[in-house]
Amino acid sequence: MAHPLQLGFQDAMSPVMEELLHFHDHTLMIVFLISTLVLYIITLMMTTKLTYTNTMNAQEVEMIWTILPAIVLITIALPSLRVLYLMDEINNPHLTIKAMGHQWYWTYEYTDYENLEFDSYMIHTQDLPNGYFRLLEVDHRMVMPMESPIRILISAEDVLHSWAIPSLGVKTDAVPGRLNQTTFIITRPGMFYGQCSEICGANHSFMPIVVESVPLQYFENWSSLMLS
Amino acid sequence: MLSLPALCVGTLARRGVLGAASIRAAHGHSGHVATQEDMSVPHYYDRRSIPLPDVPYHKELGAEQKALKEKEKGSWKQLSNEEKVALYRLQFNQTFAEMNRPSNEWKTVLGGIFLFFGFTGLIVWWQRVYVFPPKPHTLTDEWKAQQVKRMLDMRMNPIQGFSAKWDYDKNEWKK
Repeated sequence: MAHPLQLGFQDAMSPVMEELLHFHDHTLMIVFLISTLVLYIITLMMTTKLTYTNTMNAQEVEMIWTILPAIVLITIALPSLRVLYLMDEINNPHLTIKAMGHQWYWTYEYTDYENLEFDSYMIHTQDLPNGYFRLLEVDHRMVMPMESPIRILISAEDVLHSWAIPSLGVKTDAVPGRLNQTTFIITRPGMFYGQCSEICGANHSFMPIVVESVPLQYFENWSSLMLS
Repeated sequence: MLSLPALCVGTLARRGVLGAASIRAAHGHSGHVATQEDMSVPHYYDRRSIPLPDVPYHKELGAEQKALKEKEKGSWKQLSNEEKVALYRLQFNQTFAEMNRPSNEWKTVLGGIFLFFGFTGLIVWWQRVYVFPPKPHTLTDEWKAQQVKRMLDMRMNPIQGFSAKWDYDKNEWKK
């Protein structure tokens, strides 16, 4: 989750998110450079003693400020497409989980081996145990094994929702009548928080997602416990 | 048939002296027409960005001024300073310094801005007192401390974020 007054991204907990962080650094640096240049030119223009501003011939500078932005855009587009295709690479997931969005909770189905299904409701502020995070905690967390490729199939039972976890770099819309797939690998154990990211009614802000990433042994223990 | 005022206006309009005003005057609005510039002929203007206007400021010159203009056609070294200034004033209305003189407008603008800041501040204050509901109990210092402990225990953002700033060996924030 984010800490108070956080400005940047959360740390990456999956390889794709790491790539996204690096791409963002690259693009933001370009954006800062351009903004600094523009700001500098504006201050130059505001503080000049020269007064004649009628249109004059400017063929050379016109060439420069057409070609250079094109090059900048290509410099941004190439890494962007690389990350985009990276996200869609074929991998062989070890586990498939279905996440169904409802108004206003999620249902998770682990049906690879047994038939494990449960609802995940937000814990209300007045019922929070000490030190828990307001509007982020749920009664049944989604437990997953770490360091395994996982496929999540996301859909909705009523209206549009969106399943998003910022630290994993995942945001996938839950569309009723449609199955959307997203895959990721969680590199570290821990708890990762996300919130519904598509307006879905009165309690849209109150249906969070919590992923708990644990070693495989603990995952297997948890799933046997949940089944009984 | 055309009325007499309309005929008179018509001849004047043909001479190119009156413009749209002539039409409005002919229709009986003569009392309400302000003097209008004829925009189809070159104008004088004092403009910083176009330093040389199309026409001189004083178009009709008296005898003395005409003599000065004749003198100007010779070598300029023969002109005294007063004559040079006089020639300048014939050609131009204001100097660049007069044209670009600063004004006190910025004080009014800044004052207005601060006034609105203050007014907005009053509205925000009133909102905090009369509109906002009580804060949730999770914003007390005690709860926030428990929350921070929980965040550190679960190693939240351990690479460059939150937990990366905590020294787990010494149990304190990193210096």
